[in-house]
Amino acid sequence: MKKTISVIAISAALCAFQASAQDVADLNDLEMAHVAYTADNIDIRYAHMALALSSNPEIHAFANTMISDHTAVNEAALGLLDKLGATAQDNFFSQALNDGAEQVINNFSNLRGVEFDIAYAANELAYHQTVNSLVEHTMIPNIDNDEVRALFQQGLEIFKVHEGHAEMMVKELTE
Amino acid sequence: MTKTITRRGVLVGAAASAAVSSTSLTSANASRPKTHEVRITQFKFEPDVVVVGVGDIIRWSNFDLAHHTATGNAFGWDTGEIAKGMSKEMVVTGDMETRYFCAFHPHMKGTITIKL
Repeated sequence: MKKTISVIAISAALCAFQASAQDVADLNDLEMAHVAYTADNIDIRYAHMALALSSNPEIHAFANTMISDHTAVNEAALGLLDKLGATAQDNFFSQALNDGAEQVINNFSNLRGVEFDIAYAANELAYHQTVNSLVEHTMIPNIDNDEVRALFQQGLEIFKVHEGHAEMMVKELTE
Repeated sequence: MTKTITRRGVLVGAAASAAVSSTSLTSANASRPKTHEVRITQFKFEPDVVVVGVGDIIRWSNFDLAHHTATGNAFGWDTGEIAKGMSKEMVVTGDMETRYFCAFHPHMKGTITIKL
């Protein structure tokens, strides 16, 4: 019962992001870059928690992949912004993502063992589903700069792999 | 005029012959190792099967933004992380694991077929 509540709490936090999808479409390229950078950093934070709190080797492997991949995307984003002579711009959605992440992290900190593993895997699946949908259907179609759009497309390709991996992880943990 | 061949002589001769053959093959391979290119792109090893000889070199080059590895299934060998635009090489040995994957993205799989 407690596991179910934990997953519901995480999903509720993610619903807050979906509610404002329409407003995200109105963000400029530099604000969208900030959203992507923030979303990457949040998943890196979750991964570090997983490495600290889980003893499951599969969870550790997944977390290390999240750190490696999201760091690579962020480095590419910073490289592109530097090339363009631009700086990512903070905005309401980046702040909403961070607020949601704080709730998730607070929830994680109360969990241990299999409870944590299931909550982490479920959150990774829900997080990637939500962010991927937003990136694909709301952000990419509204990005003006070709290079920024291309980077988002490369990022989406990576995050879809994560979504599939998380889906398998959830299945294995809950079977 | 016949030459007497003792059992010991045959065995030593055979061993020497084997050693020469082995050395010759090793030398030949060492002087002309082939390099087999494997591209890592869109989360796939291309080609996913490489046919190689002992002493040949396999070079994995990463064209993805994500870092990858080529790692033997039982972790007997590992290229380490390959960042975008980077390559890692490995010399083929007769006893190396022939099935491998990416340690970061385990659905990515490849096979090495070693010619005898």
